[in-house]
Amino acid sequence: MTDTTILDRPKKARLTWIARVPGVAVMLVVLLALFGVMSPGFGTSANLSNVLVQSAILLIIALAMTLIIMTEGIDLSMGALLTLATIIYAATLLASGSFVMALAAALALGIAFGFLNGWLIAVADIPPFVTTLGTLGVAQGLSLIVTDGQSIVGLPRSVQFAYAGTVLGIPFPVIVAVVCYFLCYWLLYQTRFGIGISALGGNREALRQAGVNDKLMLIAVYVLGGVAAAIAAPLLCARMNSAHPTAAIGMEFDAIAAVALGGTQFERGNGWLFGTVLGVITIGVLRNGLNLLAVPSSVQVACVGFLVIVALFLDGLRSKGT
Amino acid sequence: MKGDALVAPMAPITAAASAGPAAGEPVAMHADASVPLFELRGISKSFPGVKALDDVSFSIWPGEIHMLLGENGAGKSSLMKVLCGTYLADTGSFFHHGAPVQIRSPADARRFGIAVIFQEFSLVPYLSVAQNIFLGREFAGWFPGTMDRQRIRAEAHRVLQSIGSDINPDTPVHELGIAHQQIVEIAKALSQNARILVMDEPTSALSDRETEHLFEMIRRLKQDGVAIIYISHRMAEVFLLGDRITILRDGRKVASIRPTEATPDRLVEMMVGRKVDTSYQQAPRGAPGELALEVKGMSATSGIADISLEVRTGEVVGLCGLVGSGRTEVARAIFGADPITAGEVRVFGKPLSGGPETAVRNGVALIPENRKSQGLALIRSVGDNIVLAALERLFPSRIYQPGPARRVAENMIEKLRIATPSPLRPANTLSGGNQQKIVIAKWLAVGARLFIFDEPTRGIDVGAKTEIFNAIGEIIAGGAAVLMISSEQSEIVHACDRAYVMREGRIVGALDHDQLTEHNIIRLIMHHD
Amino acid sequence: MPMARRLVISHDVLQVVYRLIAVGILCAGLALLSDSFLTINNIVNVLRQASLVFFMASGLTLVILTANLDLSVGANVALSACIAASVIKATGSPWLGFLVGIGTGSLVGLVNGLMVTGMRIPSFIATYGMLWVAQGITYWYMAGETIHGFPPEFRAIGSGYFLGIPIPVYLMAVFLALGSFFAKRTTYGQQIYAIGGNPVAARLSGIPGNRRLVLVFVVSGAMAGLASLIFLARLNSAEGDIGDALTLPAIAAVLIGGTSLFGGIGTMFGTFVGALLLTLILNGMNLLAVSASWQPLVTGVILIAAVWLDMKTRGESAARV
Repeated sequence: MTDTTILDRPKKARLTWIARVPGVAVMLVVLLALFGVMSPGFGTSANLSNVLVQSAILLIIALAMTLIIMTEGIDLSMGALLTLATIIYAATLLASGSFVMALAAALALGIAFGFLNGWLIAVADIPPFVTTLGTLGVAQGLSLIVTDGQSIVGLPRSVQFAYAGTVLGIPFPVIVAVVCYFLCYWLLYQTRFGIGISALGGNREALRQAGVNDKLMLIAVYVLGGVAAAIAAPLLCARMNSAHPTAAIGMEFDAIAAVALGGTQFERGNGWLFGTVLGVITIGVLRNGLNLLAVPSSVQVACVGFLVIVALFLDGLRSKGT
Repeated sequence: MKGDALVAPMAPITAAASAGPAAGEPVAMHADASVPLFELRGISKSFPGVKALDDVSFSIWPGEIHMLLGENGAGKSSLMKVLCGTYLADTGSFFHHGAPVQIRSPADARRFGIAVIFQEFSLVPYLSVAQNIFLGREFAGWFPGTMDRQRIRAEAHRVLQSIGSDINPDTPVHELGIAHQQIVEIAKALSQNARILVMDEPTSALSDRETEHLFEMIRRLKQDGVAIIYISHRMAEVFLLGDRITILRDGRKVASIRPTEATPDRLVEMMVGRKVDTSYQQAPRGAPGELALEVKGMSATSGIADISLEVRTGEVVGLCGLVGSGRTEVARAIFGADPITAGEVRVFGKPLSGGPETAVRNGVALIPENRKSQGLALIRSVGDNIVLAALERLFPSRIYQPGPARRVAENMIEKLRIATPSPLRPANTLSGGNQQKIVIAKWLAVGARLFIFDEPTRGIDVGAKTEIFNAIGEIIAGGAAVLMISSEQSEIVHACDRAYVMREGRIVGALDHDQLTEHNIIRLIMHHD
Repeated sequence: MPMARRLVISHDVLQVVYRLIAVGILCAGLALLSDSFLTINNIVNVLRQASLVFFMASGLTLVILTANLDLSVGANVALSACIAASVIKATGSPWLGFLVGIGTGSLVGLVNGLMVTGMRIPSFIATYGMLWVAQGITYWYMAGETIHGFPPEFRAIGSGYFLGIPIPVYLMAVFLALGSFFAKRTTYGQQIYAIGGNPVAARLSGIPGNRRLVLVFVVSGAMAGLASLIFLARLNSAEGDIGDALTLPAIAAVLIGGTSLFGGIGTMFGTFVGALLLTLILNGMNLLAVSASWQPLVTGVILIAAVWLDMKTRGESAARV
């Protein structure tokens, strides 16, 4: 008599140790080494801290994107929403002079937009990427309409604190990003909502059988996306010292790339939050290094795209073993 | 526990029947020893064209291991679905501890402590065991919305221990094998205070050692007064574990007896013995011709191993076995839909390797089990479906001409008497039987010579069944060979010339024409030979 | 049993008829609302605009028929246009330019196809990545410059007229004919519809699914390449961002035209009507002095509405994309 039946499928593949180390960590180290050698200005502490600050905005977006992707969804409208949120923030600031009101306006927009996405996806049952492709157009359109194609300038100098300011020596954006990370971490690993996120992607039927309102949870996840855009808006506005209708176009691509690099899968609810952090930093390092080498930004995007394809390919290889 | 005759499900029946305390009386109950824990009376359930349950009564006592036996389609799963609230019975009543109650939804059933043990259906892969057990019922933490992770882990640990499992509650479920996932399911049900567990063929995917563990667990549950409804086709298990056995046949209850009151042969007799169905009229067949299909030692990743069989032109060969015994997997492996890991397949002397494209080119046809999701493109027209496999044969220049295509389709429609006013109608407007004819037509149009049917008459009413069999007869008369998978043993007996029987991924017997009876088929399936 | 010769109107034809009615109603409405609608100038304008959208959308239709997506069409057009432009400039031969343009487009399509079939990446992710990669390559290749000044015979393709109608409109008819022929009159097209209708059944009927999918992406890419040349001829210049704004309207046109996102349903002619509908709506907005900034928003809303309608008419539970 045998110990295993022929219907046994081995559940744990014997992966080599290399496959166990997160690919993104390897990529990050390689890139750091590469650029360190190729550009003298890269390895300075000033430059490296610059990278962190610049990555902060992307991290905030990418964290929300991680949660969304864990539910087997996607949000292509985030870049456009961030742009719109920046515009609303700046416009409200100019109109009212109050930072609080401006932030509130951005939050209201983010929540409403996130709710729209969530509702279309969870209740109307429209596939996520089509929905968010459409709402991308809507957000972009609104940005153009509100600004009539022009930048919003003339913002008070204090705006810049959100990007250039420091608290106890740490750059403000980094603080915001770190706080967001811990918030997301708490949400994902310490709350029932976090369990729900994993279940939405892993086995939505099981969640429903357990009596949980899965539609409401799914809407909430997309609302979080909107909130993330609203939080990032003041930072972006401060960075550019203005608001322009093409400000963050395409940022969702970097966010999705960061999530994919970090090892979060697009199916089954398998996510790694810290992986997204590494992914964001990797992309930040990549762009920074390429900048120092005077590579045009459009080519940088191509490189990021290439990295993602490699990451997805490796991801596919790895999941064939499980 | 190890001392019991539990070494393998293959242990001789006689020894098991007289085994010690394991196969004994139900556990002594608390008060209310006179009333069953749960009772169904007079349950009937019909679907269009088929009566799944006909006035079935069933009772279960605390701490009882109640075996539920019956052929495919006898009504076992329908009865369980009624019990757990998935189906609404047409007639009948329910009693809990003797008091009349209603079960109208899964939530109702859960309230009465009824739980069905799924496999892989209700687990979230990337959550831990503990999180899965308490999915949706997590203990609240100090802050609204948070969970008390320690308590969840501790409670999960406690539940697992209570059934003798040492699974680490922090393990992500996707890392567990099927056996352990099943245990998690059991723990999940118990944590919701299940008092009745329904298990459907729980040992079918387990190794011997895992089976042993499961049986120990079941005994522990029994001691706690939990009742288990156990659906099984393994004769040894039935006699080893069962306190009572209920046999269903054609939607009716044949008997509810103690293992001591029966022998395996008697059980088989009770499961079989349907009235003769006159819809299968076999035209006299000539002697078999050339070797159409020759399979030697074939194994595949889908779980089948060492399959060898032969089919000749002019004969209909049956492939029987339980659902899950690997018959569809054999069909798919022959057709090239699943990759083969060992052995070879020869069609008309030519070795086949590659995917479905190669098989089709060599004259093999597969009529899949699920014609709607695998055999047809329902939104396409009847005609488009019919010519689908023959496109490149009919139009070698690759230029498609609607006229000739339509004529081919009309030809087939007439030949098989497909009930549709025009080949332009979408396939989803036809009845089940006619849809099946479209699939058959598709292969006739491409000139196939080896037809593999997987449950050809599933979901088809009696009238159309005759037509399908007539079509098969014509296919044979045309010089082709047929391999037919069916879960209805009487169908196999009446329509096939001979048959192979499968169990757990292997072929366990071949019955030639004289040996082909339902009784013999069931004996081979039930492992009683 | 004699075959009934009743006229059975196929689902496809019905859908197109509905949409043509919508076109008619829209035209009537616009004619009432604005005097400038029914002028020769405006009608020619609408037709020409519609043709540009249609060029992008025609290849896309084939891809969507298989229940896949190609988000990289716009970037493909841009890349093909820029490379073809530099070839025309360098060699002075438009014919070589055509070859190179179609070749580049096909190559992009091939990579898309291989990513989807070979690497099993969902098409919307693969082509989304390709979008950015192609755009990046285009910008790098052009290094921020533009190429302009093409031979007049070549420019005629885009900006010339024949019998008072812009040549691109005739070309649109050619695209329509070519596309329809491929979809309905070749075995490949029939198989593509089958794959879209039920990929499992198609495979179990012996259709080489992967090969056909790659073919579809290559054909779609080739048509994008062909389209890029028309764009080139019309604009008389090549810059990095030609196809940018047209991806969304192209997808919208295909979906409005009745092609189902979930595969197996749709026609080339439907896409033509869809392009027409979309252009009429945007044209109407222009005539009614609505700011051009509204266009992306309207397109986005129409896109969602089209998908929703598609899901409703399709009935059966659709696959998740």
